[in-house]
Amino acid sequence: MSDSLREILDVGVFWEYRAILLQGLGINFLVFFGATALALSLGLGAALLRVSRFRPLRALGTLHVEIFRNAPDYVMIVWVHFVLPLLIGTLLHTRLELNPFASGVIALGLVYSGYFAETFRAGIEAVPSGHVEAARSLGMGEQLVLWRIVLPQVVRRMLPESINVFISLFKATTIVSLIAVPDLMYRVSMITQQEMRPLPLYTGAALVYFAIVLVAGTALRAFAERWRAKVI
Amino acid sequence: MHEDKPTSDVPMIRVVDVHKRFGDLEVLKGVSFDVHRGNVLSMIGASGSGKSTLLRCINYLEVPSAGDVLIDGESLCYRGNASGDRRPRSPSEVNRIRRELGIVFQQFNLWPHMTVMGNIVEAPIRVRGMSRGEAEVLAETCLARVRLLEKAKEYPARLSGGQQQRVAIARALAMQPKVMLFDEATSSLDPELTDEVLAVMRDLAHDGTTMIVVTHEMSFARDVSDRVMFLHNGLVEEDGPPEQVFGAPRSERLRQFISKHV
Repeated sequence: MSDSLREILDVGVFWEYRAILLQGLGINFLVFFGATALALSLGLGAALLRVSRFRPLRALGTLHVEIFRNAPDYVMIVWVHFVLPLLIGTLLHTRLELNPFASGVIALGLVYSGYFAETFRAGIEAVPSGHVEAARSLGMGEQLVLWRIVLPQVVRRMLPESINVFISLFKATTIVSLIAVPDLMYRVSMITQQEMRPLPLYTGAALVYFAIVLVAGTALRAFAERWRAKVI
Repeated sequence: MHEDKPTSDVPMIRVVDVHKRFGDLEVLKGVSFDVHRGNVLSMIGASGSGKSTLLRCINYLEVPSAGDVLIDGESLCYRGNASGDRRPRSPSEVNRIRRELGIVFQQFNLWPHMTVMGNIVEAPIRVRGMSRGEAEVLAETCLARVRLLEKAKEYPARLSGGQQQRVAIARALAMQPKVMLFDEATSSLDPELTDEVLAVMRDLAHDGTTMIVVTHEMSFARDVSDRVMFLHNGLVEEDGPPEQVFGAPRSERLRQFISKHV
């Protein structure tokens, strides 16, 4: 191997900056957990609308799913960061600004709520109506039936297939770097500009993301299958 | 307060001219009857005769299109006030009244994410407000009645159909209902598993449980019930003590039905 190639591939420079890069990775995780929390709550809300008895509510749920599931992640991030504050600010006659981190969390939360809504809805519809009737006949009200009988089964059923959505969401956290959220990817770009060694730095970043997704995905799948097997 | 009255005065269940229609289809065309405390009523009839719908109307899983159901003298469908106005019950009132009725379904409907014990204590804790300890003691007595005490920690998926149905009976019993309703409780079981469920139902009847049983098991209807009701096309076609219904059927339809099923 030629010296120049070895120099290009030497990931030592990535290791040198490990403390700063690790902080960046922490930001990726924060964005991931924030967006996940938002996506799950909004997704559940939209799914409940979609299985409602009332047609206008069902339409509202469908609208939510179609808008957000069909919006590209990056477009949504830019829109939430630059357009949304302007829109709200104009309506309220104030100046509004979102910090990039909040924009990233909100945008990804919205997009992925569309995916989770569909998973939740499929899960809710898969719970046999007899289970609900049994609960109602024992005097359980709507809320109890939802939280004690329906949702626990939905979560167990949807976990295996939602792992892919979690993975996509985690990978999508890297594009928050484009609105200057200082995540791993953002820091790698900054360091690259200083060191002029893009190859080892970007390769290092790719390997880190790859390893995390592989390990977490495999562990989650094994856990989800075991958990589900006990129930169904 | 009810205990002071002579118990035979107020029927445990009074069904008053219940109609049920689904769109253009009238499934129940005006059915009335009483069930007294400690009695067992069996409802028989061809599929489509309306017997399951009737049972589901009795605990409001289907809302009657007209008529009313009185449980121990209390209207399930309407709330009257001093001036005599009748208003439909709110969902929470319906929930309060219907928990006096235990129902056992053809498909068992155990909750798969909870153990046998979890299935049984759920409603006593969440609906009756019992402590977990109290509810578990109660659940154990209910499980003993269906002879499944040793399965308390299992998940439903690990049980046979007959065992699942017995757990479903225990779950209904744990709410200490005034009446037990059985909706073809053995129809989805293999023949060799129906006996264990029927045996539990016989025990309950012997213990003086008030029961309404929709069934295809003619021997159960004949041996265990105080009264047998034959439904046809949404109406009570014939009704009487089992000896009469099976021994001396008056209508031609009932005669045909019995010759096919006995």
